Amino acid sequence: MATEVLADAQALREARRRRALAAMKEHDIDALLLGREANARYVAGAQRLWTAGTRPFGPGCVIVRATGAVHLVSTWDEGIPDDIPHDNLFGITWNPGNLLAWLKGIDGLAEARRIGTDSLTPRFARLLPKIFPSADLVDAEQALEAARRVKAPEEIDAIRTALAVAETALTAAVAELRPGVSEHHLAAVFMEAMAHQGVTTPATQQVAWIASSPGPRGHRRTAAARRDDLVAFDAGVVAGGYVGEVGRTWPSDPATVDATTRDLYRLADDLWDHLLEACRPGEPCSGLLAAYREVGQTPPPFPVATGLGLGFDVPVVTAQLPRTALHELLEPGMVLAVTAQVTGQEHRTVFHKEAVHITDNGSEVLTSAPHWTQ
Amino acid sequence: MTIAVSVEDKPDLGRMQRHRRARLQQAMADQGADALVLLSNSNVSYATGARWPLSDPGRANVQRPVAVVTAGDDLPHLFTTFGELGAPDLGLPDDHVHGPVYPEFDEGAESFARTVAELVPYGARVAVDELPGSLNRVRVLFSPDAEPSSADDVVGAAKLIKTPDELGFLRKALAITEQAIAPTQASLAPGMRQNELTARFLRTAFELGADANILDPIWQVMPASVADGPWTTHGDIACPLLTTERELEVGDVLWVDTGISYAGFASDFGRTWLVGTDPTPRQQAQFRAWSEIVEAVLAVTRAGATGADLTRAALSAHGRNRRPWMEHFYLGHGLGIESAEPPFIGTDLGDGYDERQVLAAGMVLVLEPLVWEDGAGGYRAEEVIAITEDAWIPLTDYPYDPYGH
Repeated sequence: MATEVLADAQALREARRRRALAAMKEHDIDALLLGREANARYVAGAQRLWTAGTRPFGPGCVIVRATGAVHLVSTWDEGIPDDIPHDNLFGITWNPGNLLAWLKGIDGLAEARRIGTDSLTPRFARLLPKIFPSADLVDAEQALEAARRVKAPEEIDAIRTALAVAETALTAAVAELRPGVSEHHLAAVFMEAMAHQGVTTPATQQVAWIASSPGPRGHRRTAAARRDDLVAFDAGVVAGGYVGEVGRTWPSDPATVDATTRDLYRLADDLWDHLLEACRPGEPCSGLLAAYREVGQTPPPFPVATGLGLGFDVPVVTAQLPRTALHELLEPGMVLAVTAQVTGQEHRTVFHKEAVHITDNGSEVLTSAPHWTQ
Repeated sequence: MTIAVSVEDKPDLGRMQRHRRARLQQAMADQGADALVLLSNSNVSYATGARWPLSDPGRANVQRPVAVVTAGDDLPHLFTTFGELGAPDLGLPDDHVHGPVYPEFDEGAESFARTVAELVPYGARVAVDELPGSLNRVRVLFSPDAEPSSADDVVGAAKLIKTPDELGFLRKALAITEQAIAPTQASLAPGMRQNELTARFLRTAFELGADANILDPIWQVMPASVADGPWTTHGDIACPLLTTERELEVGDVLWVDTGISYAGFASDFGRTWLVGTDPTPRQQAQFRAWSEIVEAVLAVTRAGATGADLTRAALSAHGRNRRPWMEHFYLGHGLGIESAEPPFIGTDLGDGYDERQVLAAGMVLVLEPLVWEDGAGGYRAEEVIAITEDAWIPLTDYPYDPYGH
């Protein structure tokens, strides 16, 4: 982070915008109306306020293929790249009528035949056809996914930066682990260490949970870690818009680790070897699910792998989407957060998450935070 | 029927959800919705009581809990990565708790749509809050005859009035925020960086039990004049500007704005601070002018008053040819399930809209007027109140140091 609010670097912006325009051409989309901040950041390269959780759809960023121009909802020009002129900025509005009037006036939009959106609400599904009566309103998510799934080198660098922040903050939290510590305290230390590095936005805020008590991974509990507990850390930050995530599991008190727990860690290592083996270009994502079966484990209910980028990208690999995993092939330039989670008796769980860059010949693991070793 | 507004000291999740479910069913009946398909984090949280640490929106779109509510069935269906949300604690029977769904992907959207079709009677009038392209393609599976209506409107009507349990949880969220702000403000000194304020605030808020940080905390250094700040579309003040590693200097005027979530409630905090100095007489005068605006607005605030009554009071107390609040925001907004939710007062929706906003007992308002004149940095702070039959009650009591109490 700098001492000023800066737009994304020019090379990064240009690489992304080129891909976005190419995907628009490929999918025959003349203009995009984008509501999701990750997509807006991808095409605009502007920093806007970070908030947590899903947001309702509203077209806050527009790109027109014919002109290549980006138009953005922003009341000020701080954090806005200089290739988006003041005339292309529109102030924050609460009035859908004002927003629609702005859209109507955007150069080239009225002539667009196919207008893509990255989601819709019932209200915008009704209103947009009224102001663009001659255009087909189409789903642009597949085009955007196609653009975003493979990372430009500048994006890989941005993910490395985010991962470094996440790993440093993770190390600070792990250093606080001892019997009696609470999940609240570990999350608090993580957030503080993240912000001290100049990054004030987390990606996931669970941070740490006692992974050796029966019952759910709930909202953070006040219970203190016992001597024989395992504690899982799921550390994620958003730096420069990019998500970096890393996961580790540490024993609360290494002196209490018994043979069964050692076996569980060994099983997690074994699973990780199988997962990494599946991370090869040209291979289907279903190989990651198969890796779980190969070590006799059921995949967890959450994704075993997700693309990292501005938020989550494709592929999202989960046992709930088996056909998708079978048809989606890994490609050089993808970056995945890959989870190895094994569960033993009494719900004791070892959870590891690594960032893996798919390369031309295989893969490169981008995470290097220390593991508990036996 | 008149119901006295009270804030529950020991809010109860089960009781809160019973009341919410009744309100939701009523709103569905009023708006002619037979079923709700809820994808947005805040709507799912409202309908089910589930709480979880909110994630980055780019992540939350993919890995998100989903809820389905049907008319006549008092209990919502929750689709979730199970334990992640503490689902077993929500009092839902097993047949209402389902595994996670991925409506963002064609395969996930189709299987989810088929499940919804089983839960919702054929021909039911379905309301949804969001239609990702993948779900939109298969929505005929659960809404064959009609375009779905807006579930945001249904949940919006239900959540407008807060129950005593809701006010109790909200007050706790506000209290955590202010307990975390106090040591942050105490640490404020020249040479500190903006991000270090964030570090201190988040550290304390999470220690105190905050579930999540919901917005990148703002510690904006105000310019000497509007002209010294960034260019804006309206020529007025730019705010909120993002936090960086900027070092704070003696005399900097900071506009502070932040919030956390706790138990599914969003807090909001706003004050003006000074770095390493006391306010000048001119700055004190700005604070007094701000206080007079707040007092004037509060004097007319009660159930039955309209949003326009409040904006008129603010304008008249300010006595200048300028609206004493941020041009691109509002004089006031609701708070609770989201950090800014209806009612909105003083927005670009216009005076007619404000006239139609009638306050009711149990609504929550955040009033955020400001006073600005070039050369003194301005004063802005936020007051959080709950509306009662004959007036209002405060939900916070944080001081206005170093300007006054």
